[in-house]
Amino acid sequence: MFKKILIANRGEIAVRIMRACRELGIKTVAVYSDADKNSQHTQFADEAIHIGDPSPKESYLNADKLIQAALRSEADAIHPGYGFLSESASFAGTVASAQLTFIGPSADSIRAMGDKAESKIAMKKAGVPTVPGYEGLDSGDDFKQAAKEIGYPVLIKASAGGGGKGMRVVEKEADLAEAIQGASREALNSFGDERLLIEKYLADAHHIEFQIFGDQHGHLVHLFERECSVQRRHQKIIEETPSPLLTPQLRKEMGEAAVKAASAVNYFNAGTVEFIFDPQLSTFYFLEMNTRLQVEHPVTELTTGLDLVQWQIRVAAGERFPYSQEQLAQRGHAIECRVYAEDPANRFLPSTGKLLQFIEPRGPGIRVDSGFTAGDEVTHFYDPLLAKLIVHAENRETAIQRMQAALRDFVAHGVITNIDFLQAVLSHSDFHNGDITTRWVETKFNWTPPSKPSFESLIAASLADFTIVNRKSEIANSTEPDPYSPWKTNASASPFGRG
Amino acid sequence: MKLTFDNTTIDITPTGKSYRATIGDKTVDVEIIRVENGKLDLLIDGERVSAYVSSDNAKRWVTVNSQTFVLTKSSGAKRSGGKHDHTGELTAPMPGQVRAVNVSEGDAVTKGQTLLVIEAMKMEIRIQSPMDGVVSSLSVKQGQTVEREQVLIEIEES
Repeated sequence: MFKKILIANRGEIAVRIMRACRELGIKTVAVYSDADKNSQHTQFADEAIHIGDPSPKESYLNADKLIQAALRSEADAIHPGYGFLSESASFAGTVASAQLTFIGPSADSIRAMGDKAESKIAMKKAGVPTVPGYEGLDSGDDFKQAAKEIGYPVLIKASAGGGGKGMRVVEKEADLAEAIQGASREALNSFGDERLLIEKYLADAHHIEFQIFGDQHGHLVHLFERECSVQRRHQKIIEETPSPLLTPQLRKEMGEAAVKAASAVNYFNAGTVEFIFDPQLSTFYFLEMNTRLQVEHPVTELTTGLDLVQWQIRVAAGERFPYSQEQLAQRGHAIECRVYAEDPANRFLPSTGKLLQFIEPRGPGIRVDSGFTAGDEVTHFYDPLLAKLIVHAENRETAIQRMQAALRDFVAHGVITNIDFLQAVLSHSDFHNGDITTRWVETKFNWTPPSKPSFESLIAASLADFTIVNRKSEIANSTEPDPYSPWKTNASASPFGRG
Repeated sequence: MKLTFDNTTIDITPTGKSYRATIGDKTVDVEIIRVENGKLDLLIDGERVSAYVSSDNAKRWVTVNSQTFVLTKSSGAKRSGGKHDHTGELTAPMPGQVRAVNVSEGDAVTKGQTLLVIEAMKMEIRIQSPMDGVVSSLSVKQGQTVEREQVLIEIEES
């Protein structure tokens, strides 16, 4: 087993991986940019190494600096988390050639699946159903021709893409040129690769993915599905398992297709096969495979009882994964809500600032994976994910109730969050009925925050200010031995922050 | 004592053990049960209410009954409201970097046309023209880093 692991990531996922390492008795090394000097992941690790400027290119995307940090700290493995270099085949290769272990699949598997065009071709060959479309087109005219053949709306995607970046839905020919230009620019900036592919855009589809897990001895299973259809800007915000749509028969078929897809590229470690699911026809198509740990992995952990990150580490060290497909089962229902620093009333634009208060909910069946605490700065350099709130309960209905109660207890001040928005989605009848498709937020959901502050909020704000004004006399009358103790008020004169 | 948040005036009068609070024609009795860091436990007309309050200069973040509001306290001085009528001054919605500048000063533009593209948190934000008009001033270059609210471009209505 490894003695020390470097986590080449930041935020909640870095903290989550460090927790797994701690439980396994493995030392952890954090890397941090200038912007993350005081971040939670930097503080949580056994040691922390500074790797440069806040810009991802100079820090979390800089393979040389990461390898140097690993060698310097004498780590024997690197966990890439998700995002950043997690799906870079060349990084996985570089890690291996530095005599370190990359905690993930082989560089070859990443390469085979990392390119959306190449992987689609490989899946067709392996007999996994794929979305009608074209790969490897060059000129704008080719795209125009292809779009005409497939029929609008079409989806333009970065070949090297992921996470909704470099992706555009095009409804009509007049918008095609600008979409191609924008998508390739975004693709070039995010992935250093501007190739695009085009396919039929399935408007009223569900996004259902299967967790795959394999060891290095040829044993490969699926850990059931995750329904991830609640999305905005092509990015998931609520995920759950089991999917309210799948019958046992469909679950079996899709699970088998997912295992087939993964074995076509000799996959090991954790991965996710994403499918588009058409609820009318009950058909599914391979969308892509994410060759890494997924943001929403906790819902699978809660329903299968497995710690995926610990198993990632164990199979990377050569251990066998001991469970057969028949031994694995789903128990109860789990839902995850991604709490983002963003403004749902203003096109979900990220919100930056200092977290003045950050109170996470607790209780039976509630898990919070977060990378922030009060006083932390949310900057514009990185993804605005503040925390993942995950609940587990007996069934879907009780899980929804538990999530609603947990969201009510979540307090975040200093940045605008999507908490109220998530709450509104959860109480919508479409969510209860499992009728949410990937475009639901954009096309069917009209949410506006309350236009007027509530009566109680005005009273509370006034009294808070009033007590600040009158605080001097309160302190004078206080019976406490040391009313000025810095331990009491965070060294601030006012209990409510900068007045 | 009178306080104003978001153009609503609240009148607070201490009445010994509790306070009398008036907003418009509604008056309630408010008792403070507990004050700790950022949290107020109140009895509003006998009903228990917990409120989280944070302040950042004139801004107040308030969470009551699981709803969060961002209030702005006015100091009494009237702010000059009202937008420009015939010019559109477009500002950066968030800090980021200018990825593309599609127009030059003097160019005629149409409503909805993408003028600039800003990248922030690895997302592209298209700055679109709010009206048909002419670019009267362009204040940024490609590659430049911009702050939130920084003026990017001005459009004059044609």
